[in-house]
Amino acid sequence: MMAKKVLHSLTLNGEQVDVATPSGATLLETLREDLRVLSSKRGCNQGVCGACTLLVDGKPVRACLTLTARCEGHEIQTVDGMGEDHVMATLQRHMVESGGVQCGFCTGGVLISARELLAEDPMPSREAVKTALSGNVCRCTGYRTIVDAVVGAAEELAQ
Amino acid sequence: MTEVLSPETVEDAVALLAEHEEAMPLSGGATLIAMRNASLVEPTHLVSLDRIAALRGITRTEEGGFRIGAMTRHCETAACADLTGSFYVLRRAAGMIANRVVRNMGTMGGSVANADPAADYLPALACCDAVLDIAGPEGRRQLSILDYVEDWYETALEEGEIITAITLPAPVEASSTYRKIARVSGDYATASCAMSLDADGQGLRVAIGACGPGPLRDRDGEAALRGKLDDPAAVAEFAGRLVALADPVDDVRGSAEYRLRLIPRLVTSVLSELTQQKEMA
Repeated sequence: MMAKKVLHSLTLNGEQVDVATPSGATLLETLREDLRVLSSKRGCNQGVCGACTLLVDGKPVRACLTLTARCEGHEIQTVDGMGEDHVMATLQRHMVESGGVQCGFCTGGVLISARELLAEDPMPSREAVKTALSGNVCRCTGYRTIVDAVVGAAEELAQ
Repeated sequence: MTEVLSPETVEDAVALLAEHEEAMPLSGGATLIAMRNASLVEPTHLVSLDRIAALRGITRTEEGGFRIGAMTRHCETAACADLTGSFYVLRRAAGMIANRVVRNMGTMGGSVANADPAADYLPALACCDAVLDIAGPEGRRQLSILDYVEDWYETALEEGEIITAITLPAPVEASSTYRKIARVSGDYATASCAMSLDADGQGLRVAIGACGPGPLRDRDGEAALRGKLDDPAAVAEFAGRLVALADPVDDVRGSAEYRLRLIPRLVTSVLSELTQQKEMA
């Protein structure tokens, strides 16, 4: 059965986009199915794995638990819209250099959570990094190289 | 398919919930949308509470307590520097829920309404003697948090009612904290303990989480323990009463037997932490 669609006007990565999406859709469904913005990944669809994490009004949230209907009037930022951000770019480079990226499915969510951590705690301990990333599941790396990347980026940014 | 309705007043929200039989109120979404995604609930309408200004913010009451709007996010409660003394327990519990991202989404009203026995707010609120402000088709009412949970995932909320705020009464001079035993950072509790120790060192309030359908609080036992906090036998007897009140289950986080063993250890250990804090102050 085709779901009834509704029109929403969203602000995505600084641009206004109008989209028709099924009534009651999550932001993750609207982004991936209707707008074909694929950087936010569908892992568990339960808010547990963290692969869909993006920013609404500058705060990381789960796209799979956010209703598109509640996003009108709010700023949505996905990781692919953050290339100009110096902290994000530094984190990305360290993730590549340290081997923190393997299949890449969790990477966008990890980067957004890590950026939020560095905004609050510019020189986090390894323990603080692990706690901050506890809502981002990675099944490839075993996490050590991800923690290396965040700590390495923090050290570089502090110089 | 779900229609999303976004009222701007509590009255309109209550009216919409009454109008649509299969409607559900939606606060932060951290639990309800996950349940809908898994087809565990299939509401025809979601009455979103996020545009209702009256449900937001933490404000001081005339009595010196606080009114915490039901839509207050965990991150706001965790960062609220005004929650000190006997209310610090709530701030501490908020900061231990899940992870940063979920704390940006979940709300106190939503968590309380969901009444997961292993979630963090109910024991912390029981320790604060909090009162729930409720609105529904029959009007508004207040309910003590201690009378709120009736059985596993069953609460005293009636059909069509929503929680509008959580009120903390006038503070007592005390120090407080929240301790959670969990498998990993941010998990639901295997067992938890909210405790508040009076500044005069005589009185204690204790609530145990995840060891029954609702938080365990034994006010008669607390009264009997008054003035005897430095007597290990009296503390052990008090903890034994909490164990007797407990009705834990075996689940993936631990066996019922293990949980019963955790209760006295939590009580002793958290009391010792608060006592040491007081001696150092």
